[in-house]
Amino acid sequence: MGGSKTGSDSTPGTEDGVSDDVDSGGPTAAVGQRLAALADRFDADLLTLLAVATSAVLVVAFYYPVATVLVEAVVVDGAVTLAVFAEILRDPFYVGELARLFAGESPVAVARALLSPDRRLGIVGFTAYQAALSTVASVALGLPAAYLLARFEFPGRRTLRSLTIVPFVLPSIMVAVGFVATFGDRGTLNAVLATVGLPPVDLLFTLEAVVIAHAFYNAPLVARVTTAAWESVDASAVETARSLGAGPTRAFYDVVAPQVYPAVLTGAALTFVFTFGTFPIVLALGGFELATVEVFVYRLVRDLSYAEAAALAVIELVISLAVLLAYLRYEARSSVQSRGVRPLPRRPLHPPALTAREVLPRVGLAVYAAVAALIFLAPIASMILASVTGGDGALTLEHYRFLAQRQRTGAAFQVRPWPAIRNSLVFATAATLVALPMGVVVAVLTTRKYRGRKLVDAAAMAPLAVSGIIVGLGLLRGLVFGVEVAGWRIAATGAAAIVVAHAVSGYPVVVRTVAPGLEGLDRSLVESARALGASRVRALRDVELPLVWPAVVAGAAFAFAISIGEFTATVVLATGADAYTMPVAIERFIGRRLGPATAMGVVLLVVTGVSFVVIERLGGEYRGL
Amino acid sequence: MSPGEWLKSEFESRVDATLEWATPDNEVNYYIERAAAGAGIDADLYVGLTTEDLVRVDEALDDDLFAERGDVDGVADVREGLLFDPFDRAVPYDTGYVSLVYDGTETEAPATFEGLLDDEHAGQLIAQNPGASSTGRAFLLHTVHRFGDPDGTIEGGDGDPDYDYLDYWADLQENDVRVLGSWDDAYAAWSEGEAPMVVSYSTDQVFASQEGENLEEHQIRFLNDQAYANPEGMAVFADADEPDLARRFMSFVLEPEVQGEIAQRNVAFPATDTATLPEDYAELAQAPADPVTFTYDELQGSVDGWVEDWERQYAGN
Repeated sequence: MGGSKTGSDSTPGTEDGVSDDVDSGGPTAAVGQRLAALADRFDADLLTLLAVATSAVLVVAFYYPVATVLVEAVVVDGAVTLAVFAEILRDPFYVGELARLFAGESPVAVARALLSPDRRLGIVGFTAYQAALSTVASVALGLPAAYLLARFEFPGRRTLRSLTIVPFVLPSIMVAVGFVATFGDRGTLNAVLATVGLPPVDLLFTLEAVVIAHAFYNAPLVARVTTAAWESVDASAVETARSLGAGPTRAFYDVVAPQVYPAVLTGAALTFVFTFGTFPIVLALGGFELATVEVFVYRLVRDLSYAEAAALAVIELVISLAVLLAYLRYEARSSVQSRGVRPLPRRPLHPPALTAREVLPRVGLAVYAAVAALIFLAPIASMILASVTGGDGALTLEHYRFLAQRQRTGAAFQVRPWPAIRNSLVFATAATLVALPMGVVVAVLTTRKYRGRKLVDAAAMAPLAVSGIIVGLGLLRGLVFGVEVAGWRIAATGAAAIVVAHAVSGYPVVVRTVAPGLEGLDRSLVESARALGASRVRALRDVELPLVWPAVVAGAAFAFAISIGEFTATVVLATGADAYTMPVAIERFIGRRLGPATAMGVVLLVVTGVSFVVIERLGGEYRGL
Repeated sequence: MSPGEWLKSEFESRVDATLEWATPDNEVNYYIERAAAGAGIDADLYVGLTTEDLVRVDEALDDDLFAERGDVDGVADVREGLLFDPFDRAVPYDTGYVSLVYDGTETEAPATFEGLLDDEHAGQLIAQNPGASSTGRAFLLHTVHRFGDPDGTIEGGDGDPDYDYLDYWADLQENDVRVLGSWDDAYAAWSEGEAPMVVSYSTDQVFASQEGENLEEHQIRFLNDQAYANPEGMAVFADADEPDLARRFMSFVLEPEVQGEIAQRNVAFPATDTATLPEDYAELAQAPADPVTFTYDELQGSVDGWVEDWERQYAGN
């Protein structure tokens, strides 16, 4: 982190600064005071500088490009109009029964219609409905994993924790292949059911399949942020509660739950926003009956109907931001002060005693492990199997040979595997290094108290909430084609632009993982540090960040994951250059047979899995700082 | 080796020039956007134009994106009905047919559109989203061609003015058709045995035999002996730096042996009737007795509405 490093240069000043509040008029003290003041100024400026740089990056690589598209919703043929919105909001196809409200019917009549069994949700309503279901499923599947990872000790625990994020980066075509092979008519699940004499289930091309796939992607997110929060719970707080006579259950509800709760909500809010903007997976595993808003945004953009596409995207954005805002208000209210440094002791997986209290949670975890194996491991195993299966159904390495051959003989305009791997790793590392300071700075800014900060906070989340298709088109217009200034066209493509775009997509997750922790910190800790002469940046680096370190590492892992998995912005910005990444390679390798694409997918799986383990190991070593 | 790579080395061996391919992800929309933003086109020739692309280009831009084809050798050899551009810009170089592919060990595909509505074929067909997939769109257009549209602009070959493509799709949906997102989604699900019929290309057996698969599981069915034709063309950009070189390339592409190579490498059908192809090519790459397609004029102003009306009926949540 650039910011923290520079902060440490101010050590001479801060050491002397101890005397700041002592009434001593000696010359040494005066110099010390001045130095301290100078260092403080520099540090204050550094935070400001980072904040300004962050804003500049956001304007250039996000707000301006996106605005070039969204403005088409309100400017049609050169005139400002709200007609496009009015048309969508009055259209039952999009907003269901609510359309009658916008058409002037009484709210009572609309409410009655909404409660009737044959109500219409409209595309927007249905999209929110499936996102809500997906959020519930993701939390239900993510929480037990967090419990296991945060509270139990077993061999491979840290590796498992690192690997939980892997599903998050998988391209939808891979997930579709894995899901069809697992949950299809002839899939693994039905084979297992048949061997135990149960009737087959017909899961594919239903809403259930889509919801499970969304949980496949997002339960890891819930699990990861919750684990980070749970690991930050201070053992001494629990011990104090216990010594005051609270039973273990009571101590959990009073001490642990309030600290874990906000993280669960973070995961839930992010899941809702991600699944609200879902696109290819819905049509791959559900079908067009389940089309979401993004499906229509895509088609409208493809047909160059920009006004309607932009208006739909704005409606999508407003709903996502409203959900984030509601969550942020709740987060602010529910934040609990903590000064945790010593994590709770972990329990062994083997029950130490055969009591109900010891055995029941472990039985629950065993059941969960079976469910998790079916939902997470089986599809991934199917992907791996698909990569070594030939057209005749026999095992083969021909798809990997294709990758090797493409690497050796690929033409200049063709995507080759190794540059894709290298670019993915370089971009993701660089994007993480940019996203971390951006995220921390915004987190610090949003934990200060001022009017409207929740709005600022929500606006900072916008990169998560804007339709990916619109962002892609915006980047094409704003960065690839550039802006004409005094006869010169200023444009940005290639590696640097991709890194910045990835950092912009990833930094909101850093904010969301780090901010609740910062907010929950006991202010007196920071105040003491400041009173002892530590600058703001120094207090942040030496006191606050170490206390929320698990959240910082989780944020870094997600920034990395988002960069690795990013597709839309990458293909737009990689035009002509050799800046393509692994997901782009997978897409380009899709042919009539998916073999080569799945082989590349397995490469992606392995490379990212290893990267996550490395990130968390590095992050773990850093912790004592 | 892909046709792109082969064309490049073959062309460069004959002409003192370097050919550079660019493959922007949003295809022709990318150049429409470039032109609209005044960002310069940066390319001489576009390869892969469809009739619909041309309609879209002409609706979106006031100025011409493409120039007239001018003097191109071999245009006279292009098969009848394939010259899809009424303004003589695009030169077709190949065509494909969208048909049903079915697993003959599981079902026997019906001979007609109406047959797909039979009980025995309930839940047996996988199609694709016409808003995102070209096979999905071709199949939708084929149903419009067969049953007509509601305002009667297209009469339809079924002879029933009261039954249009939306009625047919309502019946198809009733019979549990699956409309997935992309061709990849659909073909992957079909390959896994989720349903025995899929909307795909009539050249499926060429691939299947290359990979040693059982051809019985890769049967082709032309509904009503028809298939929707998707000719692909190329056109010179209006502000190309090297228009003459681009035209020379187009002439080269229409040469008999080059046409044969393109058809085989793209697994498609040549645009000319003079192409050199192996004797047995037609055995595996099947062509319908009665190829159908909409003209530029028929698509213009209509195709967006057809897709949108279909979406509204099919996805009414």
